[in-house]
Amino acid sequence: MTAREKILDACDIETFFVCEDAEEGKRLGLALMKELGFADADVVFSEMAGPGARVRVRGYVNRPGSTYTWRNEGGRHP
Amino acid sequence: MTADNSQKILIVPLDPVHDVGAKLIARTLRERGHSVTLLQPDLSVEEVISRARQLLPDFIMVSRTISYDTPELLAKFADMCDAAGLRSHAKLVVGGMSIRKEMAQELGYDAGFGPQTTLEEVADYVDGKAHTSHEASHGGTKPDLTRGYKYDFVDAEIGELCVGIARRLIDWASQRTSPGIERAHLRMKLEEARLSGDVALANELRGRYSALTGGDVRKWYESGQPIPHTRPLAPYEAAALENMDNGVPVSLVSQKPLEPVNVIVQYGTGCPVMDAYHIRLSLGWGAKGAVHFDPSWGARTEGLAEGTLSHQHDGTVLTLENLRLLKRAIHPAALWQVRAHRGLNTPETVVLAHLAGADLTKINIVYGSLGAGTDPARLAVDGVECLRLAASFGLPYDVVTNEELCGVPARKAFAGMLVVATAGVLLGGRPILQPLFADSPEAMVSGFTQDNLVDFNAAKMIALKSIMNAPIWPGAPVGFMTQTQDRCQSSTMTALHAALALGLGAEAVTIASSDEAYAGGPISAQARVDTLKSVAASLKFFGSTRIAPTARAEKMAADLKKGIKETLERVYERGDFVAALYEGLLGDREDGAYPGRAGRDTVTARQ
Repeated sequence: MTAREKILDACDIETFFVCEDAEEGKRLGLALMKELGFADADVVFSEMAGPGARVRVRGYVNRPGSTYTWRNEGGRHP
Repeated sequence: MTADNSQKILIVPLDPVHDVGAKLIARTLRERGHSVTLLQPDLSVEEVISRARQLLPDFIMVSRTISYDTPELLAKFADMCDAAGLRSHAKLVVGGMSIRKEMAQELGYDAGFGPQTTLEEVADYVDGKAHTSHEASHGGTKPDLTRGYKYDFVDAEIGELCVGIARRLIDWASQRTSPGIERAHLRMKLEEARLSGDVALANELRGRYSALTGGDVRKWYESGQPIPHTRPLAPYEAAALENMDNGVPVSLVSQKPLEPVNVIVQYGTGCPVMDAYHIRLSLGWGAKGAVHFDPSWGARTEGLAEGTLSHQHDGTVLTLENLRLLKRAIHPAALWQVRAHRGLNTPETVVLAHLAGADLTKINIVYGSLGAGTDPARLAVDGVECLRLAASFGLPYDVVTNEELCGVPARKAFAGMLVVATAGVLLGGRPILQPLFADSPEAMVSGFTQDNLVDFNAAKMIALKSIMNAPIWPGAPVGFMTQTQDRCQSSTMTALHAALALGLGAEAVTIASSDEAYAGGPISAQARVDTLKSVAASLKFFGSTRIAPTARAEKMAADLKKGIKETLERVYERGDFVAALYEGLLGDREDGAYPGRAGRDTVTARQ
């Protein structure tokens, strides 16, 4: 089982992109998630100041009700 | 600690300046009876080895805060300890902000303690004891948020108005019934029949129940057609929850500031399995309880389905089977609330809450009528039944005032809350007042929160405490409309509102995750941890001090109380609580409140 498959629901990545505006920050955030292989990604926030944007992007690995990748592994609880 | 177990310990900050952690550990170990020698910072490795050879300690404990050259320095130190023959009788321990347990192991140290290590953890290691506080059980007894409250009125005039209005409401409702009430009673009988194994009776009752349902729920009962966006839980999913033992201690992350307070979280991912994980992790990070969120469509549909169901969108479907599964995730010492404050199934929800073993429910006629789309007459008759049922089950409930979010001024929302709470007390129940701690539309428009977000919230607490001797549980969640999508900002707002409420004597607070303002997808597990950590940090920061409102809070409280009284006088003069709801005395269209339409014309005379 890969590390990604052990993610309970979502993987957040927060970073700072050198870019022109918050929209570019969003585009870069989504591009980053695509590069990392997260097919189900979204921008939680993107805020521009100074040389770029502080961006938080989220890749959903297991949405509620899906077939959980960790289901046969379990955690300690339950 | 006996003298026989006393250890000789050398503690050294292998760091140019940082020695606070080393000092704290030295003090803790001395308190446990050990002989501790603490050296100053900025010694060379050679100087430390020289002192160690003179002392011949049982433990050599070094600390390192700054991170540059750390592995090289620690490796050199370990090698020199070996070369000096110190390792034959001394355990080598390293700790500090730049230390990771794995790094310590790789460098040959006997133990490594990184950031977030507690002093007790280190001392337990020296004493040879398994550390327990980090993995303690979620012990203690279940909090009772209503204990010690007499529910008498501090303000007699307001009390008289509330009692007068509430008595009329109870009398009005006692002559009426609704499909929601009928279903609640059928559900109780149905479950009794199932429990006694009377299949014929259960089938008959189920048939009568389904005849009182509507929309997609009726189709589900009559033809088995799935309710849109739901599916039955797969066997492995149900098994995961069935095998969960709620007696198993929840692993606790050290969140000491949360131990004496009641911080409650909300869940409702749609999937009971995911909910169970979210509940467990929240309890692990110090939450004292969890609130069940059901889908909004459930409130607009007559009847509740059966079975274990997963929902693709927000809100976990209310069925007895879902609740019973979720109960297994709730630790016996934690609080569990199932909400029955809006919609067409409120009495049955109270029944399900009771049957599933919930500790609390949520009831308010006014919010559900003016802010959540249910017909006022329907919710008034159902709401009074909820109050009766909750009292008979011994189930406390909060009376929420979320109509403030629509724009209803606090004076009107609180007047409605006090009437419903009074009706609850008259019927033998234990209500909890739930003022909204938020930057509400009224607060923004009136400039109440222009200077700060403390005064208006404090005024609410001051006003309510001066009216009724009842528990207060702000929510839900605190900080509503102040959080943004930025997790730092969101967590800080939640933490400060929680600290304010608890500092002002609230029995509990409901908090959101740091995803509160994010609408792009389900709440993530880490977002739940964010706010529990930030609330703990804020409580640690404030300790026994309190956030000090300005003098303006007292003025706002006095104005609020005056407004509550004036609202109650108008409702009393109207002589009909339900008419007062329709006519806007507790919130009108200009305020942003609209009498709901779901369930209109479904109230009938009680036989």
